[in-house]
Amino acid sequence: MLEVQDLVKQYADTRAVDGISFSVNDGEVFAFLGPNGAGKTTTVEILECLRPLTKGAAHVCGYDVTRENEVKEIKKNIGVLPQDYNALDKLTVRENIELIAEMYDKHLEVADVIKLLELEDKANTKFENLSGGLKQRVGIAAALVSDPKLVFLDEPTTGLDPRARRDVWDVLTNLKKLGKTVFLTTHYMEEAQTLADRIAIMAKGKIVAIGSPQQLIDKYGGLKILIIRKADKTLADKLEDKFEHASVDSNGDVHIKIENTDEPYQIMSFLTQIKAERDVEIQTPTLEDVFLKITGSKISEEGEAK
Amino acid sequence: MRFIAIFKAVTKNWLRSRTGLFFSIMFPIMMIFIFGSIFGGNNYVPTMTAAFIMTNGIIGLTSTNTEFKRRGIIRRLSITPLTKADWIVGCVLSQTLLNLLLTGIMIGIGWIAFSVRVTPDPLTILMIFLGSVMFSGIGMALSGALKDVEAASAIGNVISYPMMFLSGVFVPLSIMPSTLQLVSKFIPLTYFSDGLKAAIITKSTGTTLFDMGVVAALAVVFIAAGVLLTRWKEK
Repeated sequence: MLEVQDLVKQYADTRAVDGISFSVNDGEVFAFLGPNGAGKTTTVEILECLRPLTKGAAHVCGYDVTRENEVKEIKKNIGVLPQDYNALDKLTVRENIELIAEMYDKHLEVADVIKLLELEDKANTKFENLSGGLKQRVGIAAALVSDPKLVFLDEPTTGLDPRARRDVWDVLTNLKKLGKTVFLTTHYMEEAQTLADRIAIMAKGKIVAIGSPQQLIDKYGGLKILIIRKADKTLADKLEDKFEHASVDSNGDVHIKIENTDEPYQIMSFLTQIKAERDVEIQTPTLEDVFLKITGSKISEEGEAK
Repeated sequence: MRFIAIFKAVTKNWLRSRTGLFFSIMFPIMMIFIFGSIFGGNNYVPTMTAAFIMTNGIIGLTSTNTEFKRRGIIRRLSITPLTKADWIVGCVLSQTLLNLLLTGIMIGIGWIAFSVRVTPDPLTILMIFLGSVMFSGIGMALSGALKDVEAASAIGNVISYPMMFLSGVFVPLSIMPSTLQLVSKFIPLTYFSDGLKAAIITKSTGTTLFDMGVVAALAVVFIAAGVLLTRWKEK
């Protein structure tokens, strides 16, 4: 569906995209995960034929983004929710989706797309009167109305409140069931983990890791941790003596890194043996741990690396 | 035929934009009040119409279009199979419809309040149509080439005010020095305003047709320039 080789985007003195290669398969949800300035949007905009590339090659739906006559074919085959999506303020939801539909020779019924995005109640509301979450849903509807083979969603939930974000996720999960190929960019770990089949982690213009969420976690997430809540000093000392990877945090909780599947049972039976039953919890590594491990930083709510 | 969809959408958008429409209507009304009170009669109607259609195209449409650009509306449309020519023609026709409506309102008020007795014949309407297409074309070319709203309206002002004075709209050309009279020959507004004068006041069809030809040719040139100057691909 999409093929990128050694893609470079050079601005005067910055290299926004620094030689990346990847591909997106038919029917998968692929996500670019990374902080602001990692080169996610630049790459996506090159693939949408909005920006020229500096070096390398990129094919979208089998067409070359650098050839003017092939760009026409790409435009027919993709649907896009751009970053900071906006539509004509005074037109209604339906009219804005219709306008995009009319740009294509073939398109889906506007009413069907409105229904798919659960926008029926708002179909006659002017765009300017919608909340941020609803505006994004109109944007997704507009991206789908041409029945594209490949859908680009550039930061679909940035700036939304958690409730609106979840609504958009529900919509996108449904999209997956329709078998659409989706290319998503995000700086929200949870979003990538919830929606994507495969994730490429981007930092400073490079892809630093690529794989399914589980593969990434298995490879980079580190060990599971068993936490024993509210251990007193004596118990903590005993655990530290007995288990090599045990440590105590400031709350008095003991953390033990688990190296093999037997270990939790050993810990539990040890606790029973010394009659020190406590609340325990197993913490599995998340994408956040993966990201921290690979890039040495976290991503803030606003998308900044810190 | 995508320009029809653009025409419809953009037209609906301004029809529903109350403040924008209010000021669009107030401008010609204000002009007819000022000119009507000073001169009376019909003689100022063609030049005044030409002047406000010019400012609507060069200043008004330029800032609307730059605003569309700033808000990412054009960007969104540019990812579809829409061509630049379709976008420009749709916007130009929409602005032209607005201009025809405003001219009608202005002349109507002139009839009621200032004894204006102008009945637009088909030739006059065609002239207004072509003049409006020409100036809207300039507006689209300007905003296609420029990135920010401030620069666009500043340049719009810089272009339109000298044109107003050098084409005999405010000051009769006959009292100007000969060099300025020569300069006026190179100003699009001159032909539009002369053509309208010939159509409305002197009723000389020959002059109207000549000016109309010049305006129509320039309209094509500016729309083509708009298509060439407009950059949808970013850096």
